[in-house]
Amino acid sequence: MKATRLILTAMTLKWAYRAANSLTGFASSVIACGCEADIERELSPDETPDGRPGIAVIIFAMSKSKLQEQVLKRVGQSVMTTATSACFAGSHSEDMMPLGKSIRYFGDGYQISKKINGLRFWRIPVMHGEFLCEETTGIVPAIGGGNFLVLAKTARHGLTACEKAVKAIRKVNGAVTTFPGGIVGSGSKIGSKYKFMPASTNEAFCPTLKGQVKSELTDEIGSVLEIVIDGLNEKAISEAMSAGIMAVCEYGPEKGIYRISAGNYGGQLGPYHFHLWDILK
Amino acid sequence: MSPLILTLKKRLVTRVDLSSLTPDRLNGLNVNAIKALKLDYSGKQIAITELFDVTGDDTDSIHFRRSSRAFTKIGYAMTKGSIEVRGHAGDYLGQKMSGGRINARGEAGNWLANKMSGGRIDISGNVADFAGAALPDETQGMSDGIVTIRGNAGDRIGDRMRRGLIIVLGNAGDFTGSRMIAGTIIILGKSGHQTGYGMKRGTIILGKKPQKLLATFNSCGKLKMEFLRVFYKQIANIGRRFAHFKDFSPEVHRYAGDSSAGGKGEILIMLHAT
Repeated sequence: MKATRLILTAMTLKWAYRAANSLTGFASSVIACGCEADIERELSPDETPDGRPGIAVIIFAMSKSKLQEQVLKRVGQSVMTTATSACFAGSHSEDMMPLGKSIRYFGDGYQISKKINGLRFWRIPVMHGEFLCEETTGIVPAIGGGNFLVLAKTARHGLTACEKAVKAIRKVNGAVTTFPGGIVGSGSKIGSKYKFMPASTNEAFCPTLKGQVKSELTDEIGSVLEIVIDGLNEKAISEAMSAGIMAVCEYGPEKGIYRISAGNYGGQLGPYHFHLWDILK
Repeated sequence: MSPLILTLKKRLVTRVDLSSLTPDRLNGLNVNAIKALKLDYSGKQIAITELFDVTGDDTDSIHFRRSSRAFTKIGYAMTKGSIEVRGHAGDYLGQKMSGGRINARGEAGNWLANKMSGGRIDISGNVADFAGAALPDETQGMSDGIVTIRGNAGDRIGDRMRRGLIIVLGNAGDFTGSRMIAGTIIILGKSGHQTGYGMKRGTIILGKKPQKLLATFNSCGKLKMEFLRVFYKQIANIGRRFAHFKDFSPEVHRYAGDSSAGGKGEILIMLHAT
């Protein structure tokens, strides 16, 4: 996968969150959203280029062209439209993609470029004042789909444990969980009996189908939740998975968490395999 | 290795073109080879050793000592390394420079940073006219890089400037940013008459309110320009002498102009200015 990190700032952290939440909305899976995106962490004013509160987000896509398409659409429609926002590159590499370089045309000829210390920014006049956007952002190689499954007694048990896992994962830099709340309620397998469906329900882990299909679930398991992690490198994903699994394991069978598993999908999801026991060593 | 030090040892009566004494041109030469070089002086070629005492051997770091206003073209077309000048740095300092750094511990003459396209020049004293400007037969002046002037600057700073940043901590003469195409000029002291005359685009930031502005500049009101936060923060990073920029407020009075030349340039007067 390819990814880029963006730094979104605004007058207050609340409005930086508004921009980040809008940008990362409908970005749970590349299967139909075009990209996967999530908030990485909050940034203090000291950490942002303009000294205002900010949010770091990471956006992942299957190819460079898809990433460019999604980033420009989302920054243009979600960030620029957020009052008092600004957008800066959060990753730099030899492979840079346009950001303000394309969005500047919204300025209809009144946009102004400013270059300093090797960085170029575009000032686009907008109704709230000026939308400031860095010219480019770096494209970096990334990994998507690191995952583990939490097999629980009930959905309530599973959700409680997974919420704690997501909280632990968010402390790891370079890794994000792109599904709503960081948790997948409808994990999928690759393919379907229907030709037009690239992915479909993972029936082996569906509790209601235990008696109907070759199930992976034992009698006591009534709900399975999945945590999917995208990261900028293997280390980030391994650390995030480890943090998440350890958080879930604190619950144990007496609190309704029976097993941890993972979707391997026959190794068809990509070259990176994260073996749970190795991660926890 | 120690810096290559060229100490002037005689009083000059005519100009001396020093464009051949840059880190690029001296690259790979040993001290003996450098001592064998010749310079144009007073209509004839003379040995460098007639003008300078030559010591040191690091051609990436060149120091001119007891420099004279008769020197011209120090740092001409340099792309790397550093030059330090003690004394007057003469005219055409850093002309066509595209990289590296020049530190002038004294004053500089006319046409500083003419056609400069990269690198950085720091002047600790005053400079004469046409800093960053285009020569009469050129369409564009400075096209990138950073020039900082701790003293005062003369007239026509950034005339036809295309890109880059000029910071003057002192006062500026008349016609600052005249016919400017783009780029940024910051004057923290007083500015002269006709600031921004004929500017097409670009930004002139004034630390002090000028006595009057051209009638072809229109007020856009008092605004908080958010880009100034980033800009000031980046300027604060270029050296400790500029660290105070990070404390500057982004609140300015914005004037757009010159409307006789398209009107897409701007003069930003800091609101704490008097």
